[in-house]
Amino acid sequence: MTVQMVDVSLHERRRADRMQDPEYRAAYERAARELAQTDAVIRELDSLRIDLGISKAELARRVNRNASSVRRLFTASQTRPELPLIIALADALGAEVRVVPRAAKARQDTRDRSRQRRVTTAV
Amino acid sequence: MPPQGGEARRGSGRRSEADRAGQVPWSIIYYRATDGTVPALNFLRECPSTLDAQFAAVLDAVAAAPPPQFSGGGKWEAMHGVMSGFYEIRLSGPRREQFRLFCLLENGTREELARRGLQRPAIAVITGMRKPWRTTFSDGDYRRVRELGTEHQQNHPRRIGT
Repeated sequence: MTVQMVDVSLHERRRADRMQDPEYRAAYERAARELAQTDAVIRELDSLRIDLGISKAELARRVNRNASSVRRLFTASQTRPELPLIIALADALGAEVRVVPRAAKARQDTRDRSRQRRVTTAV
Repeated sequence: MPPQGGEARRGSGRRSEADRAGQVPWSIIYYRATDGTVPALNFLRECPSTLDAQFAAVLDAVAAAPPPQFSGGGKWEAMHGVMSGFYEIRLSGPRREQFRLFCLLENGTREELARRGLQRPAIAVITGMRKPWRTTFSDGDYRRVRELGTEHQQNHPRRIGT
């Protein structure tokens, strides 16, 4: 049987074309950074939870929320994660939420890479 | 009539192509209507440029880390009730105008995806709508979205914008 595959490249071609517009590009890049940070926070919390062997229901109990609200948070079926909930979950997992200036983070990343190179050289 | 849940939803018990493929990014496709128009693209063209960009960024984030992982920065949401099976991207524009993009997930076995003309799972962008702040879409508005979704899911292979 011959399977007819459809051309799925429209989205990428359109995005590449729209990126020629500086206003579009700036908005896309800003949105992508914000999305990546939000996603990273939620995934980090879920990783911590898994590492600690805590179920979503148990985590919900520890922050006095119902299990479904925590389950929805980790499966993207709820929009706009609330900061108080994020902070409560982090605390319950023995972690904390911090704001790190991007410039300071870049310096730290550079230091980490330098240290990694020294360790590699020493080995 | 809501979209056929068997196609739109996960958890059928069989391993999906996405599960087997691990982290392979999903495709992003745009439903094309019988008259040749692509409702979602028409909607995006009418959006402010910055919102068009944000919709693209959310779609790309979700395609890179598809459900059930958390992705989309809290702007991607599973819909419920009569819209069950749909996902929406929710953005606010100037004067708090609300912009929504309605999507379906294309996932299934390799054979099923091939029947739809897809080599890998995809996010199917169906259409979009906008409304002033503190207003609601009507039942008719949502019914039209569902009708487009149903029509999209009846096409084998999928009829999409190219």
